[in-house]
Amino acid sequence: MSERLMPKYIRRSLLSLPIDDPQLGEQAFASWADAIILDFVRKPGTDWQKELRARMPAAIVAAARGGAEVFIRVNSDRAAAELDATVFSGIAGVVLKGVNGAEGIAQASARLDALEASRGIAAGSLEIDVEVNTAAGVWNSLEIARASRRFGTFTVNEPELCRNLGMHPEPVLEFEALEYIKSQLITVATSVGGQAQGMSYPLSLTQKNAGEEDLRKAVQRARDTGFKGAACHHASWIQVCNEGFRPSPGEIAYYRKVIAVFAEGLKRGMASVPIDGKMIDVPVDLRAKLYLEWANRAQARDDEKARAHEQ
Amino acid sequence: MNNRVARCSMFVTPTNPRFIDKAWTRGGDVYILDIEDSIAPAEKERCRTLIRESIQKAGKGGASIYVRINKPFVDADLPYAVWPGVNRIMLPKTESAAEMRHAHEIISRLEKERGIPEGEIELSPMIESALGAVNIHEILTATPRKIWSQGGAGGYDMAVNLGIEMFASFDQYAFPVAYVALASMALGIEATGGVFVPNPSGRVDQGDQAARQAEALHAAGIHHAGALHPAFIQPLVSGLSPTRDEIAWAHRVIEEYDRLADEGESIGTLDGKVIDKYEHDFARQTLDWAAACAAKDRYKARALACAQADVRG
Repeated sequence: MSERLMPKYIRRSLLSLPIDDPQLGEQAFASWADAIILDFVRKPGTDWQKELRARMPAAIVAAARGGAEVFIRVNSDRAAAELDATVFSGIAGVVLKGVNGAEGIAQASARLDALEASRGIAAGSLEIDVEVNTAAGVWNSLEIARASRRFGTFTVNEPELCRNLGMHPEPVLEFEALEYIKSQLITVATSVGGQAQGMSYPLSLTQKNAGEEDLRKAVQRARDTGFKGAACHHASWIQVCNEGFRPSPGEIAYYRKVIAVFAEGLKRGMASVPIDGKMIDVPVDLRAKLYLEWANRAQARDDEKARAHEQ
Repeated sequence: MNNRVARCSMFVTPTNPRFIDKAWTRGGDVYILDIEDSIAPAEKERCRTLIRESIQKAGKGGASIYVRINKPFVDADLPYAVWPGVNRIMLPKTESAAEMRHAHEIISRLEKERGIPEGEIELSPMIESALGAVNIHEILTATPRKIWSQGGAGGYDMAVNLGIEMFASFDQYAFPVAYVALASMALGIEATGGVFVPNPSGRVDQGDQAARQAEALHAAGIHHAGALHPAFIQPLVSGLSPTRDEIAWAHRVIEEYDRLADEGESIGTLDGKVIDKYEHDFARQTLDWAAACAAKDRYKARALACAQADVRG
């Protein structure tokens, strides 16, 4: 296993905002989301591309005011036209929705090559995040993730995926029916050095606002599943996600102890040392170091957003 | 000796005489001599030189012997790991077919040099990362070398790779463990993973946890499990063997099915349960596994008696 950043991105909370919202800048600023995803509508009977090209640069600036990374959501089946109309300097990448195979992401990636060159964006810098909402997207996830060096994350769009699978899009079951699918997308994304975003059931399907305690538990379970962040259906989720998708103060204290105890063990020639009945060995020590680094990066991200809010 | 029976395989550290010298008395089916993560970096060189004598010491109770080498030191470790008496080399953190081929070639050369029949030593990839899991099919088909059983794709290293805390109350490895087990079974290799047993305490030294694990694995038709503590050995060895009731039932099923066949029938009932070809085949598997376990237990008992006689002098 190569020693890569874990997670690759500090992107705990993702908030979708429409560019038509007159309060876009204020909403983005007040949200404290790690990432803002901009949505747009193609108005029939208008030159929607021309209109978007005119509006997009200002919308990107507005969305970024609070220090969030900014993404544009585009549809895979008409990606070329939508990318042409919306990709401008200032975005971190695009969220590509409805990708069913390698071809979809490869074509979008090629389009971004051209747009980066023509619009003064560093070559290869734009990321493609894939929003999974079909069985085909899940089944072909490995070829999708391997098809472009721009691939960054999978996001599970659970309501749409359920509909595609013929499942009830409301949380009517007693158990997490998509456990295997979520685990697959997390594993595949990790295998190429990326990560996955999603929420645990049933909040993954509910549009109602949840109590804070339920939300904390749901975020904890999502993190234990391997997700590194979640699309926030409500602005009220953002703070809980920002605090939940990172090592907790308790974990930080525990892993500091692990590193100290293991280092002490190594001095005595022991590579396996117990703490409270758990064996501390090389992989646990490695995890401890990765977790402390993760906590530091999450803190740095919070500091960065705080500076943006002071300006 | 029947190396197929590996109900409990336990890691032992060759550098710790207390573990190595006692291993043969503990009744494990397999001891894994570790040069990897239980050995401190400064001790690895000394550990390598202890492998050859540890094979005999740890195996004198009739256990099979595996050696776990280091992914970054395959070339350096294998000459210290491939000896007569070693049944399997465990290749940690395997992620590609190329890694398997590389290890296979070195083992083949060493087998030739050391008078070991070519291909006798098994090579088992340990799947401990997301990349290893998604590449499992190419890994398992990379070399002609025998792989008896294959499982994993959970554990500490996978948790590190996925960035999760282990010991949650639900199956955090739903995809990788099942995917690796399924690929193995599709290739005719016995699977050793695939059943989630909650262990929120994370403790590795509690026999009742081992008994629960054995019960769940047994119910899923899985015959192998690993252990990090001797308290796990007996619950796993007994829990992963067929019970007397299961053996008696299997005999009755076969008898009844044979009787049906004599009468030109292919389906009937016994104690209210359907008896057909599938039930018959399952009964055969039970008896086959029972015979293998019994043979292993007899072998271990004889070896243990000889070793105890040696100790008494």
